[in-house]
Amino acid sequence: MTAGAAIAPAPRRGWWARLRKRLRPPRRLTFTRDGRVLFMLALGIGFGAINTGNNLLYLLVGWLCSFIVASGVLSEVTMKGLTVRRRPPARLFAGQPFLMEIAVENGKPSLASFSIEIEDLVGGRPLDKKCYFLKIPAGKTQRTSYRHTFARRGTYTLDGFRIATKFPFGFFRKSRDIDEPTEVLVYPALVPVVRPMPRTESAGDARAARLGRRGEFHGLREWRQGDDRRDVHWKSTARSGRTMVREYEDELMRRVVVCVDNALPAAVRTAVEDGLAPPEIDALERAISVAASLAAAYLDAGWSVALVARGAQVPTSAGRSQLPRILRALALLDTVGDDTPFAAPLPPRTESVLVHPRGVVVAGRPSGAARVVEA
Amino acid sequence: MKFARAHKGASYFAVAAAFGELVTGGAVSPITALLGTTGLITSWFWEPPRIRYERWALLWTIVSLLVLVLSVTFAVTTGDILGTGADFLVWLTIVKAHNRRAARDWQQLYVLAFFMLVAGSVMNADLTFGAFFLLFVIGATWTMILFHLRREMEDNFLLKHADDKSERVEVRRILESKRIVDRRFFVGTALVSLGIFAGAAVLFLAIPRVGIGFFWKGKSGLSLAGFSDGVKLGGHGRIKDDRTVVMRVKVSGQFAGRDAPYLHWRGVSFDEYSHGAWSRGDRAPLTDGDLDTPRPGRLRITLPGFSPGGLASDAARTAGFEQQVWLEPLDADVLFGASMPLAFEVDAVRGTRPPDDDRNDELRYAHGGAIHYTVWSQVESPDADRLRKARGPLPPNFDVYTRVPKEITDETVAKAREITAGLTNDYDKAQALIAWLDANNRYTLELADPGGREPIDFFLFERHEGHCEYFASAFVIMARSVGIPTRNVNGFLGGEWNEYDDYFAIRAGDAHSWAEIYFPGEGWVTFDPTPAAEVDELGRGGTGIWARIVRFLDSVRFGWKKWVVDYDLSEQLSLFKGIGGGIKAGARWVKEQAIDGVKAAGRNWPVTLAIAIPLCGLIAWRLRRRRGPGGGPRGRARVRSAIATTYAGALAQLARQGHPRDPAITPRELARDLAAQGVAGAGPLGELTELYYLAEWGEVVSPDAVARAAALGREIAEALKQASTR
Repeated sequence: MTAGAAIAPAPRRGWWARLRKRLRPPRRLTFTRDGRVLFMLALGIGFGAINTGNNLLYLLVGWLCSFIVASGVLSEVTMKGLTVRRRPPARLFAGQPFLMEIAVENGKPSLASFSIEIEDLVGGRPLDKKCYFLKIPAGKTQRTSYRHTFARRGTYTLDGFRIATKFPFGFFRKSRDIDEPTEVLVYPALVPVVRPMPRTESAGDARAARLGRRGEFHGLREWRQGDDRRDVHWKSTARSGRTMVREYEDELMRRVVVCVDNALPAAVRTAVEDGLAPPEIDALERAISVAASLAAAYLDAGWSVALVARGAQVPTSAGRSQLPRILRALALLDTVGDDTPFAAPLPPRTESVLVHPRGVVVAGRPSGAARVVEA
Repeated sequence: MKFARAHKGASYFAVAAAFGELVTGGAVSPITALLGTTGLITSWFWEPPRIRYERWALLWTIVSLLVLVLSVTFAVTTGDILGTGADFLVWLTIVKAHNRRAARDWQQLYVLAFFMLVAGSVMNADLTFGAFFLLFVIGATWTMILFHLRREMEDNFLLKHADDKSERVEVRRILESKRIVDRRFFVGTALVSLGIFAGAAVLFLAIPRVGIGFFWKGKSGLSLAGFSDGVKLGGHGRIKDDRTVVMRVKVSGQFAGRDAPYLHWRGVSFDEYSHGAWSRGDRAPLTDGDLDTPRPGRLRITLPGFSPGGLASDAARTAGFEQQVWLEPLDADVLFGASMPLAFEVDAVRGTRPPDDDRNDELRYAHGGAIHYTVWSQVESPDADRLRKARGPLPPNFDVYTRVPKEITDETVAKAREITAGLTNDYDKAQALIAWLDANNRYTLELADPGGREPIDFFLFERHEGHCEYFASAFVIMARSVGIPTRNVNGFLGGEWNEYDDYFAIRAGDAHSWAEIYFPGEGWVTFDPTPAAEVDELGRGGTGIWARIVRFLDSVRFGWKKWVVDYDLSEQLSLFKGIGGGIKAGARWVKEQAIDGVKAAGRNWPVTLAIAIPLCGLIAWRLRRRRGPGGGPRGRARVRSAIATTYAGALAQLARQGHPRDPAITPRELARDLAAQGVAGAGPLGELTELYYLAEWGEVVSPDAVARAAALGREIAEALKQASTR
């Protein structure tokens, strides 16, 4: 699994999918334009041979048929022994082009493979981009990549690969599908945002004089991935049986909660379920994108950031490992109804940014007042 | 070889093979052949940067239109549509070869080459078609593979993807690459093309020969050699000993082989003589063969003239001597058989029957081209005593065989009577005439002009020299002069024995003329008055190496004719029957062996067990190895890089020096530990270890890295050697 783009095996297939897989023909064979011409030629000459009894025409028909048979055998040989691997980039963002590396290893001991096309399958259908390998020598691996853009955030299942070839004569396109299910998580698009000015002077960017390594001790919390091992509080860990780490004052002082309102009216959600794309959806997607961008901006500035949404939350943390957590949560954030509450209350002493499809609101202590920074 | 050059070379090879097949078959005129050859050669060099295609496009179009108009005019005026079409096809090929701008032009060139092949299949039925077809198959396999790769690379390598954008790349660089196709590629694909050729042969034999004949049915209609369907005396000059094979006959028994007796291959027969020429008269008896169908698709014709007792077809077949005849296309549709033919069996062609007006026991069957048929003949003449005793009235219209033309001189008639004076039967009279002709005349191929004199008279009383037609004609006329019913017969004599496929090759130069005499109750009997020792100009063929080579080539050509050109439903059924019989016999043999084996195993059960148990164990072990210890398919052994091999060698040397690697120690830890201990070679080992990591786990195996690893390996070995010496 790569650090950012969460890639995990796809969930176990249902019985219908398994049955379909079993019934799927091992090879697909389609005529190319040249192949159709060849077929018509063979038919025409065959008719001529039968009509005239000219054995040399029979010989030509035999040759054309043999050509077709040899085409099938050679394409099978060239597709045999190939192992395909994909390597996605570390992070994928919606709307941002990326390069997917495809590596093909020819495991045949002495025969090269020619004219190989590799396509990634999504939902059983090939992507619009394919990778072409002119020659893969015996025992060698060759790599290339295709450029693609996922339009929206979320989880995409790459079912496998389609290995295809028109080798040797270009009369047929033979293909076979290989199951190599992989899930790719596409983060929300990061857009340029201006981090809102903090609502309080004592918090935010004005740094307090620090004591010790990272400031005043504030309290203990449970360990999360990415936390420094030096912060583990061993006594509490031993006592509670869970790994506990120290929290410091400066972290507390530069905290922000990014809050996303992912609620949509029932009518809109019904429209989405019906396959429509109402404008509210685009607005929410933009809001999620802004939330991700704000979180990234705060983390870059050294803030501790938490994410709160209806039905989802990411506890406060800082550092490089926090951004993937927030991005992952935002990538998987589902739309809910107004009746679903936020997963956690906004901490009273913490700066918070509320991102709503209609705008971004900054709220802060101590007044609790809020102001809109972006419509 | 550069990819572009390989593609061009292979394409020209295929086109040249198709063109060669058309030319060697005589399908195009010599001028077209010359123009085509020149055009193909010049087109090789006719390409950028030497030539700018667009500057010549208009000229090519105008000339092509002119050629089209000329071709249409020529085809309409001469009626030779096929030949003119082939010429025009060659022209189109030359034009396309001179305008190879894009992949589409190459493709059109291949289509034209294929059409040349198709045209050749109609116009060239010779072995050269087979030879050039094989070359075309090889060339086409290369060409189509390379063309496919070229088009694919043009379609796919135009774009180079990057994170932010995709840009065009130069295909030319790939076309100039020498790494895509090499000698191994050509050899491999040539072997594939041989496989394709073999596959084509198998499919050719297997495709059912079911004729429909909606629009046109017939073979090439080409005439290989002329056969004289008549006799005309009086010419002068020298008869050529033409060695062109016109007929191949498979026989068996005493008549097969180099030393077998010479057979007369009867074809046409004449009853009427007039002014030195033999012909068929309107009153001559009709052949009137009995037709029957021995099996579906076959037609049998029994000739009653040679079996006056009314020999039935089956009896004729049983009594007769069987010959399989492959007759080349001749001007005449006459069928030949060893004299005297009793019955013929041919493939029935729908709507075709022997003509009703065949006379003199000739048999014609319209076949248009080459034909394969079976003949049964009564080869040996009846006993002389029986012929001497043959008496009786002649059948109706047989008086035409006793008629002596008015222009025959009295001297000729008188000489015949003089020779046969005192003899009481036709047989003795005929023998006397033959003996006289033999004694007083000489065989020659040098013909003299008789001027205005009657040719037989000139031959008998002045020249005393002549070829078989003179001897036969003189004999027939002299026999008729003494009342013997006689007719003139034309055909072939003897033939060259081909030891490679056991058949007689009858050549045009084996053409011969002889006579037949009718004996009441016995039928027509062959009499050959030409001196036997001199008639065989060509003989059974030479015994030198060149003659053997020629015969071997003829056997190959015969195989081509027999198994390709003349392959028909009957051959197909016979072939599959043979294959089926072979399989059946093989299965029976296996079954018998298996039963015997089981019985033997039962009798010697301790030995059987001693063999079977280890064998089963071996099979189980092999299966387990194949499946792997986990039960799943066994993983393929990882291909190790050259760097890994070098590293393994260094480890082995270190182990020999007392520094083995513990399995729990990683390569990097080993290098660090050895460096800390100050072991010789530890320095280079550290670098080699990093290269090893990169190669094995990062798959970075550049030639530089391999060379560096090898140098480090040598360095380690040297250091260890020096340390051990100290």
